[in-house]
Amino acid sequence: MKKIKISAVLSTAILCFIFWLLITGQIISIFRGRPSTQVLIAGVLVSAAVGFFSGRFFIHKKAFHLLGARFIYLLQYCFYIFPQELWKANVDVALRALSKDLPVNPGIVKVPSNLRTDYGQAMLADSITLTPGTITMDIVEEEGQVYYYIHWINVETEDPVEAGEMIKGTLEAWSGRIWE
Amino acid sequence: MRFIIDILVAFSVFFAFAGMVGMIRMPDAFCRMQSSTNIATFGVLGVIVGGILYAAFYLHDGGMTIKIALLGIFYIITNPIASHAIARGAYKHGVRPEKKMVVDKYGEDLVEEE
Repeated sequence: MKKIKISAVLSTAILCFIFWLLITGQIISIFRGRPSTQVLIAGVLVSAAVGFFSGRFFIHKKAFHLLGARFIYLLQYCFYIFPQELWKANVDVALRALSKDLPVNPGIVKVPSNLRTDYGQAMLADSITLTPGTITMDIVEEEGQVYYYIHWINVETEDPVEAGEMIKGTLEAWSGRIWE
Repeated sequence: MRFIIDILVAFSVFFAFAGMVGMIRMPDAFCRMQSSTNIATFGVLGVIVGGILYAAFYLHDGGMTIKIALLGIFYIITNPIASHAIARGAYKHGVRPEKKMVVDKYGEDLVEEE
């Protein structure tokens, strides 16, 4: 059995407890100055148990990696950078679906990526899938280089690097900035 | 404020409609999935943001506001994983478009592995 890391357990437990406060509505009671002790104690116990049993599945490297400037980057990414890409892609696909002669040109391209950490790769893959017009089919590693197979609704170029530029845009740089 | 909420919901409904039309008209399974992502992103996000504003400014219900926001966050986290799994599963199971794809690197590499 793998050794249980304190930081992994702690960070998972804290996250669980925050979620518990939000979902039970206790956070509002705290702000009003009359939290229910019973609910808080139950929350602490449950999140400690969850953190103890599942911390090692969630956290593989540094547990508090996101604290600090990276968290600001993450917020900026979620609320500013990614919505821009989402808006462009959404309008594009909606217009394609509604236009008269249905201009689709589908294909699966192979695109290299420079991200090294699992979290960064997962985040980039999710971002790509979430943008309409592109779906990540698979991620493979060949000779130290990570490749994404991406189904693209309108293949403009088959060249891997150029296609990567067009699909990933600024997303890859931001993903790297947050997770590496 | 009511006006903003209405605009957001109308915006969502427009994208959901476009996605729906796309799902019916697109030629093959993968393109249909692309169109359904349209519904899954802006079709849902507009309603979620509208719901947050409505719960916060009309119902004055903090708990409901937070729950709607959490719903949106979890939706956004889980949705791409499901679409990726469906697309990959369909491809590995042998679903291929009728009209040939422009380029199919994934299929070529799968054949090479075997």
